Amino acid sequence: MNSGQKIADSDKTVRSKVRNMFTGQQSRQGMWLLPLLGFIVLAVVLSVQTQQFFSAENLFNLVAQAMPLIIAAIGQMFVILLGGLDLSVGSVISFTTAILALEGPGFILIPAVFLLAGLIGFTNGIVVTRFNVHPIIATLSMQYILLGITRMLRPVSGGTVPDIVISAVAGSFLGVPLPVFWGLFVILVAWKILHGSRYGLHLFAIGGGIAAGTTDAAHNFGIADKRNIILAYMACSCFAALAGVFLAGRIVSGDPNVGLGFEIDAITAVAIGGAQLSGGVGSLHGTVIGAMVMALLANGMNLANISPFIQTAIKGAILVFVVAFQSRKRMGL
Amino acid sequence: MSNISKAFGGSVALDSVSLELKPGTVHALMGENGAGKSTLMKILAGVHQPDSGEIRKNGEKLVIPRPKDALDLGISTVFQELSLLSNLSIAENMFLGREPITLFGTIDYAVMEQQTIEALQELGLTLDPSTLVSQLSIAERQFVEIAHGIKADAAVFILDEPTAALNAADVAVLNKHIARLRDAGKAIVYISHRMDEIFENCDTVTVLKDGQLVGTRPLADMTPDSLIAMMVGRELAHLFPERSTEVGEAVLDVKDFKLEAGSQPFSLKLCRGEILALAGLEGQGQQKFLRSLIGQFVPAGGVALIKGQSLKLPVAPSAGVRQLQALGVGYVPEDRKEEGLFLGLSISHNITIGLHSAHSALSFAKDYLKNITDTMASMNVKAAGITAPVHSLSGGNQQKILLGRYLAADVDVLFIEEPTRGVDIGAKSEIYKLLRSFAEGGGAVLVLSRETIELIGLCDRIYVVHDNTIVSEMRAEEATEHKILDAALSA
Repeated sequence: MNSGQKIADSDKTVRSKVRNMFTGQQSRQGMWLLPLLGFIVLAVVLSVQTQQFFSAENLFNLVAQAMPLIIAAIGQMFVILLGGLDLSVGSVISFTTAILALEGPGFILIPAVFLLAGLIGFTNGIVVTRFNVHPIIATLSMQYILLGITRMLRPVSGGTVPDIVISAVAGSFLGVPLPVFWGLFVILVAWKILHGSRYGLHLFAIGGGIAAGTTDAAHNFGIADKRNIILAYMACSCFAALAGVFLAGRIVSGDPNVGLGFEIDAITAVAIGGAQLSGGVGSLHGTVIGAMVMALLANGMNLANISPFIQTAIKGAILVFVVAFQSRKRMGL
Repeated sequence: MSNISKAFGGSVALDSVSLELKPGTVHALMGENGAGKSTLMKILAGVHQPDSGEIRKNGEKLVIPRPKDALDLGISTVFQELSLLSNLSIAENMFLGREPITLFGTIDYAVMEQQTIEALQELGLTLDPSTLVSQLSIAERQFVEIAHGIKADAAVFILDEPTAALNAADVAVLNKHIARLRDAGKAIVYISHRMDEIFENCDTVTVLKDGQLVGTRPLADMTPDSLIAMMVGRELAHLFPERSTEVGEAVLDVKDFKLEAGSQPFSLKLCRGEILALAGLEGQGQQKFLRSLIGQFVPAGGVALIKGQSLKLPVAPSAGVRQLQALGVGYVPEDRKEEGLFLGLSISHNITIGLHSAHSALSFAKDYLKNITDTMASMNVKAAGITAPVHSLSGGNQQKILLGRYLAADVDVLFIEEPTRGVDIGAKSEIYKLLRSFAEGGGAVLVLSRETIELIGLCDRIYVVHDNTIVSEMRAEEATEHKILDAALSA
């Protein structure tokens, strides 16, 4: 091989490497660089178009506002990595605010919220793994069951949540709103679980097997697949409950409708972040970027005075657009 | 393993079979499909539990409750269906379920990759351990599975039809690895339908038939003929049917066909009454040519006439197969499970789907009962009934159903890739006879196969394909494996 050809070859590999970086075709983390670029472009456009956008105050506000979605989307990703979906996320959030507004002491209500969420996730996981119910059906039922219970507890919004929840969300430290710190902490914890532990790798393994149609593959490696799937649904519900705690702190009361539509927002955020809904491909940073893109879009549309009804329609369109244009090369054969 | 028995439901898969593996030997396990080879190996791999009998290793009794326990006990299996996870890296696959962790509880990738490199090096491989398995070729995946066994320090390696999806060059590498393992004192079980591989690689052979042990012999005492006789229980005088002599008019006429922009153009002709082969080393363009006729490959140029009608090139992928069917041409794809059959549907559905597709989508569906029973009878399909799902059949019967679909649909030209892949000798012989009588009835057949012997025995004329063009044409009776290889390589 002469040197000219060598250069041409290395040129080719560089080009294909760059392409792969963007499409995420050769990575388990999926296509997250492209949404990051989209995020930057959106941010630049918004700061050029509107003066009030690019201020520390608005940016921190934006992050604080996006925090519940980021958290819920991270939870949703656990389940999506397994080729599942959790449609009960929004109901768990509403349910959580309703429980927190029960006028009890915080040290009882806050643990109770997470215990209940764990139980909800456990039930979802059992129904999916032991009774072989499709995740969409299992969690859709759970969505309605919780919706009913939440409306029983609190037919309209009202009540007050414990002070500690309010101060944890409303306060600020060194001029930075507390939710930003909480958010960073949650992201760190989630990173450790998903990308820095055996459990995380096993989630990818199980999801990869499911996506390739070889559902037993991970099991044959000695991985306790059913238990891990149940744990993922529990994690999803617990992250949703955490998002609920955040929202309760912001609205200071319980609201049966506050979580409405959160599941689709979370799924959209995960999909924008490059995760494949068939399972096995995705990343935490992608999901966070995806949620931030959603938050920017909402912020931008609000600043542009677009009607909330149109905004809802646009969000729905985004989900189908993103999934339809994902490079869904089936992993494996 | 001694006196192993296993029954599934009412049917006995294994009846008191014993097998002894010695370190430093390659042990061939042979038998027709459904003879019980796979069941026996799955018991050894912990996928199934034996109903009776016991497994001993160095005198110690073994119980293998789950697949992962098999590896812990030093038994490594490379199954036909590969079991690696394609969205994980090589190193992650090697250590899955047993990942080393660092002080911080994160996965210790440094240790994993180092040990993976070492295991791969034992096989003489220099793959980057962080490569995703989805980026590897089938051959590389099999080598990774073998390396997986090496890393676990397995004493027994089971290779279940490892070469089914490999090309000649990769088979040579695999053979080298097998020899290396044998020299390292491992016991290897080698399952294959290909005689040449068995005689090249193995020391001892055990033959199973209908779940029973026929015998275990050193291969030095055997010839291919005596081995076949052991497998089918009779001398196989006529594996291949007689050739015909008369050919009719051309049904496929290809002129100045260029597969790639830079490749040499070629022409070929397929006539009624003949069986034509495209031979050569793997991946030299044989499949590309067939697939460009159905629209799955875009050739650089040329003319293709089917029964005098010119095919518009490139063929639209959405219309390719239908267009051929309208012309009375059936295309039988290589991978019957992935591309050919509807495994979950019944035999009757699989056969009649070709008939239904000739009618408009809203017309009432006939049951075509007579066509189905006729086809099953003429093909000698062994099945519980026409409603049996196709996945419950053996490989040979599945292949017959696939062929039957096209024969029932009354095509008179067949393009076939790998007519007998993963099919036992008895069924092979029947499929050859079917194809021959199809040709004698005025049909024409174009065959691609990795097995050169099959092409020589079955066909009338052979085109040798190399580097995306036809380099030689010969009569099958004059052809030998050596001649074909020579023609391919000297081009």
